[in-house]
Amino acid sequence: MSVRVQLPPLLRHAMGGERWLKASGDCVAAILRDLAARYPALSLHLFDEQGEVRQNIVCVHKGAVVRAREMASHCVSAGDELVLTNALAGG
Amino acid sequence: MGIAVIVGTAKGAAILKSRNRENWEMSFELRGWPVTASARDAGDRIYAAVNSPNFGVALFASDDLSNWKQLESAPRYRPEDRGNPEHHRLVAKMDFEGKLKSGGRFVDQIWTLKPAQGALYAGVSEAGLFVSHDRGESWQPIDGFNEQPGRENWFPGFGGLGLHTILTDAKNPDRMWVGISAAGFFRSDDGGKTWLRKDDGVHGFGGNCVHHVANNPDHASVLYRQEHFGVYRSENGGDTWQVWEDGLPVAEMSDGHRCSFGFPLVHDRKSGATFVVPLDGDNFRFPRGGQLAVYRSVDGKKWHPLTEGLPSNCFAGVLRGSMAGDQMDTGGLYFGTTAGTIYASSDLGESWREIASGLPRIMSVEAYVT
Repeated sequence: MSVRVQLPPLLRHAMGGERWLKASGDCVAAILRDLAARYPALSLHLFDEQGEVRQNIVCVHKGAVVRAREMASHCVSAGDELVLTNALAGG
Repeated sequence: MGIAVIVGTAKGAAILKSRNRENWEMSFELRGWPVTASARDAGDRIYAAVNSPNFGVALFASDDLSNWKQLESAPRYRPEDRGNPEHHRLVAKMDFEGKLKSGGRFVDQIWTLKPAQGALYAGVSEAGLFVSHDRGESWQPIDGFNEQPGRENWFPGFGGLGLHTILTDAKNPDRMWVGISAAGFFRSDDGGKTWLRKDDGVHGFGGNCVHHVANNPDHASVLYRQEHFGVYRSENGGDTWQVWEDGLPVAEMSDGHRCSFGFPLVHDRKSGATFVVPLDGDNFRFPRGGQLAVYRSVDGKKWHPLTEGLPSNCFAGVLRGSMAGDQMDTGGLYFGTTAGTIYASSDLGESWREIASGLPRIMSVEAYVT
């Protein structure tokens, strides 16, 4: 199923300024894997050397924060929107 | 003919351009990314290395210093590569979910980019050496270095276990040197297959905390070295080193040793002059008494201070990659501070002036004739 993913401003550099990307998958982890397959430059930012989602990346789905360890079990539906961002790390 | 100075900061790259080294225009690119290194290849393409604790390491490339495109590849270790426990300890503050416990090896910063012999080399932390033969489109690890026995015992410097210096020999493509804080200085004479430590005569304990080394690739075996513990010179490719501090300010270091301390070192190839920016020992790490000073040696023996145009109330540092020469005749020099100010000289350091300020912490400086 197809969803829209909003990139954080920093990663829009990697995608020529694009804010929204389309991706397919039935869970958040599958959505990120599909993004990585479509956009190799983006894959560097999403996955580490061991193929794991980078530890401080989160997705916001329908107002809920989905952490990396929850992404494989968090389902999405066609037409959903995901906000890709990093966990709050400010003061 | 003009000059472009690429200033990598903690929040982007300041691009300073001048046609006469007097009047400068600045733009600010790659906004938000820490820019840790840059380089220009023989085809005039500029590469900028970025990293983010959230989104990892990447490389951008530009042919005009305005339009930047991220490359689809970057130096990366293999999933099965094992990491150095002490480096993990230093970078663990960003390991919110404990992934470093898996023991993997990760590239967390590109410290230096070095175009040479038609290739582009990258030095990274966790310490390693990578090469690209297609202008950064793909990267290969140099296993002869990265997998050498004993790396698990290397001890990192304060900034992590970083390979920050890559030097080459224009007359001998099989010879290469790399410097790692704080594992030491290494040389290969067989195209990177095997490596030997080259730290004889350099004060240290355990490893050697080499801060920066420079050479002229056309006279490559004469090496100029800023170490944590002093400044040194070698005339035999690093086989032996001699203390080179006559005229430099010395301070008592944390282990009681007395020597000069600093990070960057630049060698001007046309004049043969060498430049360092001493700081007041490893306890204080700012210019002695607040007087920012560049020291120059023109004869490879004595050092002389150069302060005209530099502030007397500066308590910032100058990082190892934050000084560069444009290699023109007469040589221009450029350096940036951790407080975000760039100073430039167009007369081999005799006089300086501020050409930009208010920048984020400056992490890298490179200068090119355009």
